[in-house]
Amino acid sequence: MTDGKRKKRRRSPEASMMTTITRKIIIMAVLMVMFFAFLIFRTWTIMRDNGERYKKRVLEQQKYDSRAIPYQRGAILDRNGTLLAYSERVYNVILDSAMAMNYEDEIETTLNAINASMGFDKDEVRTYIKEHPESQYHIMGTVTYEQKEEYEAYLKNYNATVTEENKTRETKLPKINEKTIWFEDQFRRTYPGGSLASDVIGFTTADGRGQYGLEEYYDDMLTGRNGREYGYLTAENALERTVVPAENGYTLVTTLDSYIQRVCEEKLREYDIAHTGEFRENEMGADNTGVIVMDIHSGELLAMASYPYYDLNNPKDLSMYNDMQVDQLAKMGGWKDEFLEGETKEEREEKEAMRLEKASQSLWKNFCIAQSYEPGSVCKTFTVAAALDAGVIHDGDSFDCRGYLTFGEGSKATTIRCHQRYGDGVITLKQAVEKSCNVALMLIGQKLGKDQFLKYQRNFNFGLRTNIDLAGEMRTSSLVFNKNNMGITELMTSTFGQGFNVTMIQNISAYASLVNGGYYYQPHVVKQIKDSSGAVVQNIEPTIVRQVVSESVSRLMIDYCIGVVDEGTGTRARPAGYRIGGKTGTAERSGQGKRDYTVSFMGFAPADDPQIAIYVVIDRPNTASQENGTRNACILCKDILTEILPYLHIFMTEPLTAAERKELEEKGLKDTLSMNSISGESISENEASAPVPMEDKPEIKVLIDDKTGYAIDPLNGEYLDPETGAPIDDDSSIFQDENGHPIEIEVLTDEESEKLDPRE
Amino acid sequence: MEEEVRRKKAGRRKRARDRIVLPDLFILGALFALMIIGAVMIYSTTSYTTDLNNQSQFLKKQLIAELLGLGIIGFIYLMPYEFIRWFGSKRIRVVMLAGALSTVFLLMTPLGKSVNGATRWIVLGPLQVQPAEIVKIAILVYIAGFIAEKKDYINTKKGFFHALAVTGLSAGLVYKISNNLSSALIIGGIGVLMIFSATKDWARQIIGYSIILVAGVWFMMAKAHSAQAAGEVENLKFRYKRILIWEDPTNPDFYYEGAFQTLQGLYAIGSGGVFGKGIGKGIQKLDKIPEVHNDMIYSAICEEMGLVGAAVVLLLLGTMVLRCFYLALRARDTYGMLLCTGVMLHIAIQTILNVMVVTNTMPNTGVSLPFISYGGSSVLFLMAEVGLVLRVARNSSR
Repeated sequence: MTDGKRKKRRRSPEASMMTTITRKIIIMAVLMVMFFAFLIFRTWTIMRDNGERYKKRVLEQQKYDSRAIPYQRGAILDRNGTLLAYSERVYNVILDSAMAMNYEDEIETTLNAINASMGFDKDEVRTYIKEHPESQYHIMGTVTYEQKEEYEAYLKNYNATVTEENKTRETKLPKINEKTIWFEDQFRRTYPGGSLASDVIGFTTADGRGQYGLEEYYDDMLTGRNGREYGYLTAENALERTVVPAENGYTLVTTLDSYIQRVCEEKLREYDIAHTGEFRENEMGADNTGVIVMDIHSGELLAMASYPYYDLNNPKDLSMYNDMQVDQLAKMGGWKDEFLEGETKEEREEKEAMRLEKASQSLWKNFCIAQSYEPGSVCKTFTVAAALDAGVIHDGDSFDCRGYLTFGEGSKATTIRCHQRYGDGVITLKQAVEKSCNVALMLIGQKLGKDQFLKYQRNFNFGLRTNIDLAGEMRTSSLVFNKNNMGITELMTSTFGQGFNVTMIQNISAYASLVNGGYYYQPHVVKQIKDSSGAVVQNIEPTIVRQVVSESVSRLMIDYCIGVVDEGTGTRARPAGYRIGGKTGTAERSGQGKRDYTVSFMGFAPADDPQIAIYVVIDRPNTASQENGTRNACILCKDILTEILPYLHIFMTEPLTAAERKELEEKGLKDTLSMNSISGESISENEASAPVPMEDKPEIKVLIDDKTGYAIDPLNGEYLDPETGAPIDDDSSIFQDENGHPIEIEVLTDEESEKLDPRE
Repeated sequence: MEEEVRRKKAGRRKRARDRIVLPDLFILGALFALMIIGAVMIYSTTSYTTDLNNQSQFLKKQLIAELLGLGIIGFIYLMPYEFIRWFGSKRIRVVMLAGALSTVFLLMTPLGKSVNGATRWIVLGPLQVQPAEIVKIAILVYIAGFIAEKKDYINTKKGFFHALAVTGLSAGLVYKISNNLSSALIIGGIGVLMIFSATKDWARQIIGYSIILVAGVWFMMAKAHSAQAAGEVENLKFRYKRILIWEDPTNPDFYYEGAFQTLQGLYAIGSGGVFGKGIGKGIQKLDKIPEVHNDMIYSAICEEMGLVGAAVVLLLLGTMVLRCFYLALRARDTYGMLLCTGVMLHIAIQTILNVMVVTNTMPNTGVSLPFISYGGSSVLFLMAEVGLVLRVARNSSR
């Protein structure tokens, strides 16, 4: 039935209407098709014009419903498992103002709760809510687990009571709003020892990065990985919650012994307090004092301390130092500015901030590894050992010291003097070490020669980093001589430890090799790395880098060093009841206009079976004379050894004098001599190794000034102490020409050496 | 005499009418395809929601409504043609429309259920019905019956305005009581265009409706703009705000006034690309787009199935529309023709409004996408309409 047929028939109303509808719906259908086409086009234009932008927007605005789970930074333990550093779980208190505003009637009760349980100031919080009504995340502060628990208990209790009461009340009492306050856990680095081993451990920044020491060196190990809790869609379109747990950092077991460490730090502080302002007013007992105690058979550090130290829990806190000391620290840190008249407040504040910054930086620096100095006479042991090992001298060789030695020719002729201006006379090699005779050492140096000397110096690792596992070890390669810049003068000064720079850790590591049979161990602080569950990840075994001298040379050096303490310059370093070996050192720090000293004592104990090495350095002691300084280094060493040797189960071998016994009793220490005999060692054996009576003293001709009665120096007429032969005038240097005029030996100063160190 | 011939013919036709043949496959095919796409998208957009134990609750409800709808299609299809004619007879259609409109009044009773500030559902035990959907099918059948009953009456002034008044009253009631402009527009659109299709007049109606449309749009836009210029946007009703949002969906002032729905929908469409992110892999459906399983489902289709998927959906709906059009042409009587036209108009208007809203081609108003959007009432009554079309087609098959 078609339209045509209907038209021909004289249109029934039905047919005519159907025709009308047909016409109209054809138009409508066409319009609709066009509309549908337009809709597809429109959809396409949105994708075409904005697709890329919208794709980004979609990703940008994804507020992943996820939460970071903080990792726990690994702990640092001492060798006995005592915590030196750990991360404690604390809670950030988050305030949701928007939520508080939603439940305005509950604000007061909520404020009461946080005030009562966590001590937040109500007005402060109220003001914050008023000023930031839309804020949903504001960290109000940090609380401990206990405080958080208290708040939660308070809330639960209070709300339960109110709910109960509200059942019978017309007007309802407001509850505590549970959603206004919530907690976010976090870890806070805590150092239970406070300043204990501050230089070794280092600290962490607020964002959890290690700074200085172990914290920096082992940052990768200590740092874990944050976990995450998040929602995601499964293939079935379900919103799942998944927790990727945090990976906690590794724990470091160090070789440090916190008892020994504490003793060292206490003694350093006592020393400093005792000598503050002694010679130079308002200055500390020394610019720096440092002690390292090392296990010579493994290179493990038992203690490494330096003063001034700082509080690891609050590294920027300088309150334990007075203003003058801060000033001194700032100057050591390189602060040169001075406050001037007429400065604006801002300028002053800026300078003050800089001053404190510099002071902090010099505090944070680990003196034991990050500062070089001229080691002085302690290095004579290395020269002697090198010459013995090279075979150019032998035990029992003798040297003639006339108080000075002149070398070089013509205008280059240089004279260097001995401490004893009259000369030590004809002395044996052992005596040369005991008396710390410069002339004998120079003679040895001449026999050894430049090349051999440098070879041994390199073997002893001077000029190289020890690669101790601590951040901030200084490079000293440019601070020692090499073939090209070592002339005869440099060789001569180097034999007794002047002219080149070392760090404490270099020196004690080398010294340990002299007394342990000749094996150079790489020094290290960490002996084991464990994961958070306690499983061992890595054991760090002692590493022998090389053998530096033969065992027989080592034995001789032990003997010579024992001689130093028994009857030489280091007698004061001997702790009561023990026999130890060692070597004193006094180095001139010249070149800064005035003469300063670095004094030191480096020793080992016990004498018969060396176990530990100890090195005490007092940098620029605040004492009237170098003599006093050296003595102080020995006494400091003695004080430390007196306390740590019994602790290390090293027993006394020597009879105590009445005075020593009294002294020990005052210190609360026991006489361990008797314990030793119980352990089975025969006393006679000990006696066998007792000091050999000194050989006949060499004859020394003393010139006495008739007028004053003082001894005088034959070369320049300086007054000398008749007992020791050392000059009375403290400004007198061993570097003098024949007429007694001081000569400048080119020596790198600390400042220059710092400039040369690219890492500073 | 003529009367007798007609009766004889009618008798023969009756036999033909009552023959059971395969229903129209284009309509059925498109319907099933749309239902499948709809089910997939509803599952995709709703299953992630909080209740993990009941991820397919929306899908289940939709499938139940669709099965019920298929039952209704079958029922209508198997009924004698007289049965659907009976609906168009005077008394029944009046009762039916009055009944439908009375359900609208039920919204004002406690049975009414408010969602997002508008009362659009009545709750009868486990059932929730949208009266507007009932009115849509009722007006469709009413107008078809009205026009087909007295053929030339519609071309008289009285008849024309009678039909128009019924349409206007129904649309107005739905607009006023359920605060639902879009349903009112659809009801009005179906009625007006059905009347237009059956009247001989062209120009007067086109001009008249155009003037009303343009004036209405102009009035609303002017009101919105003047308020915006005076800085009194806050006092505007949401409808006027939606005009401002339509003009600039990125305006941050309106973001929480509803612009986010439009904007996030656009992000979804734009980020889909030609082939989409893959079914189930959309991101925007997660909390970002309100009503994504319902009015905004087209944006989810674009995001997950891309332009291709959107085009397929529109082509399927276009197939339905054109097939209704074709079946209208083939219908043996005015009533059947008008029924098909009405259903065609219903599907087309609703699709066009929905996609225009989602693509921000017109201001936002809640319209569901036929056969795809979640919503039992919508699907049920649309399928009943499809049943009517299929029954008309069966009648015209030879």
